Amino acid sequence: MDVSFRKIDIDQYEEDVLLDNELYEADPRDPTQVLNDTKQKGAAVHSSLSKGDIQGALELVLSDAPYGPNVEEAKNLNLQTLVTILNSTKATEIPGVVKSLSQDSQDTLMKYLYKGMGLPGWGDVSGSVLLGWHEKLTEVAGTGCIVRAMTDRRVV
Amino acid sequence: MILLESHNYIIQNTLADKLQKPTSLDVQFVDFDSVRFHLSTPERKTCLLLSMSIRCWDELVKYGVNDVLQRVYGDRVSPQPEPEYNVSLVLDLEQFPSEGEEREALIKSISLLKRNALAAPFELAFSAQKELAASGTGQGELLAVHYRDEEAIYVQASADRVTVIFSTMFREETDRIFGKLFLQEFVDARRLPTIQSAPQVLYTTRDPPLELSHIPNLIQTDDVGYVTFILFPRHFVNPIVAESTISHIQNFRDYLHYHIKCSKAYMHSRMRHRVSEFQKVLNRAKTEVAVVDKKTASGRTLVR
Amino acid sequence: MSNVLRPYLAAVRSTLTAALTLQDFSSQIVERHNKPEVEVGASKEVLLNPLIISRNENERVLIEASVNSIRLSIKIKQADEIERILCHKFTRFMMQRAESFIVLRRKPVKGYDISFLITNNHTDTMLKHKIVDFIIQFMEEVDKEISEMKLSLNARARVVAESYLLAFAA
Repeated sequence: MDVSFRKIDIDQYEEDVLLDNELYEADPRDPTQVLNDTKQKGAAVHSSLSKGDIQGALELVLSDAPYGPNVEEAKNLNLQTLVTILNSTKATEIPGVVKSLSQDSQDTLMKYLYKGMGLPGWGDVSGSVLLGWHEKLTEVAGTGCIVRAMTDRRVV
Repeated sequence: MILLESHNYIIQNTLADKLQKPTSLDVQFVDFDSVRFHLSTPERKTCLLLSMSIRCWDELVKYGVNDVLQRVYGDRVSPQPEPEYNVSLVLDLEQFPSEGEEREALIKSISLLKRNALAAPFELAFSAQKELAASGTGQGELLAVHYRDEEAIYVQASADRVTVIFSTMFREETDRIFGKLFLQEFVDARRLPTIQSAPQVLYTTRDPPLELSHIPNLIQTDDVGYVTFILFPRHFVNPIVAESTISHIQNFRDYLHYHIKCSKAYMHSRMRHRVSEFQKVLNRAKTEVAVVDKKTASGRTLVR
Repeated sequence: MSNVLRPYLAAVRSTLTAALTLQDFSSQIVERHNKPEVEVGASKEVLLNPLIISRNENERVLIEASVNSIRLSIKIKQADEIERILCHKFTRFMMQRAESFIVLRRKPVKGYDISFLITNNHTDTMLKHKIVDFIIQFMEEVDKEISEMKLSLNARARVVAESYLLAFAA
């Protein structure tokens, strides 16, 4: 007897099944535009960095961070830009910089820290840097910031 | 007790016991490497029959085990071994020397039966080395003793040395890894100045050493290792030293495995301790739940 | 606590504290069922983003949170064959005793060495910060234990080899 029908996921035909795109509001921009925006932002960040304006660079990279499906390239690009900022910041400056960020930026930064640690191969490069930032950010923004990184469906 | 002893404790004890107070008995027991012993009194209480079964008897016969046993035990060796056993000794307790050192020595020598049987190939190789040393070149015959199902000892004499090779087999991965670590230490230990005069030890896994390369059908897996001891004349020219070298080298496999087991037991006891410590930490997290009797409306205690 | 390990454990501690906000939640798929949602994985809306904290390639912690349960998986440092076998033995030993370690999972999540499953029942009957303490202490001591076991094994091997060879030299 053919029993393959047992394996059919009938829930997907349910009318009020929850879809991924109902969990959060999608980015209004289309993927290519997101990628272009991110590239432009990257260039701007580099110019601020060369001026030594870490704070401004960080605010810039954390604003309008790409999220949602289909923008993997832009996400990775933004992460790399961010990591260059993180790597070029002195350990003593971190608390001050973190404190002056807006709450939204802090949350986005937290998301990026977890993303960076989760990527295979990244741990070796900057594991301790990311951990250092994580510690300072938690001191300033508290566990609430981690909870928001955990619950926000707009995964960076 | 770091080093193992070569004599069989049961034989030694039983003999001493029976010499004090002869009774009829019939016991079977075992030694390392699935050697079986049978100690019985088939005719009368004062005449014990000690039989031994050893896996590689046929090979040992080729290497002259009968001569060795004849030399050590004289006419105590029974001309006809007990069925299912390879060799039997007839021990007439009435003919034992009276209490004292002489008797102790005889008992000890009887309890070394297995060691003496396994000594045959070594003695053969040592004497072969003497002949080769006289002629200056050449190599002796490779004497193989398959003393376990999957493991063997190979002994070969050359002009200036006697090479003893143990093939070892580790059934379990843990044993294999522990074994590797231990054997590596055997190789390294010789660097110490105090043991410079000990035999050189070599160790390989999977591929057999050169001396064995012509033997067909050797198992080649990662579980197999070869340990080579190179004995120089200083280890066996003096007969007393030779005796102790033979006893000692025979025990190598048992010694190694004994200590691997010991380490595993130690790890286990450590883990047990550590886990109970973790358990305490976790128990600290539990809140005290006050036990309150729940009453039903009618006043009886509610039992869930 | 060694200085190298501190930021790593601090990150695990804060993340775990943040994740341990659990409440009772009955299954919305099967009536009268109440299961750890992180294990069932059938209702997206009650699962949170899984977070990874890594110190390097060989040491990381995965924290998967949901409305009524969190799953924490640890990958323990294993530098060589001996550490690997010791780690395997140790975690196996613990997991066989999972019923007395109520928060321990019997099998690790794929890619990790040991997993814990903490449900709302556990947070109800136990103090949350003490559970966190337990996990952190476990992480601290498991590394220490494995390296100590390795040292003692090496020491024993050396003594064993030396005393065997010494008997020849004597």
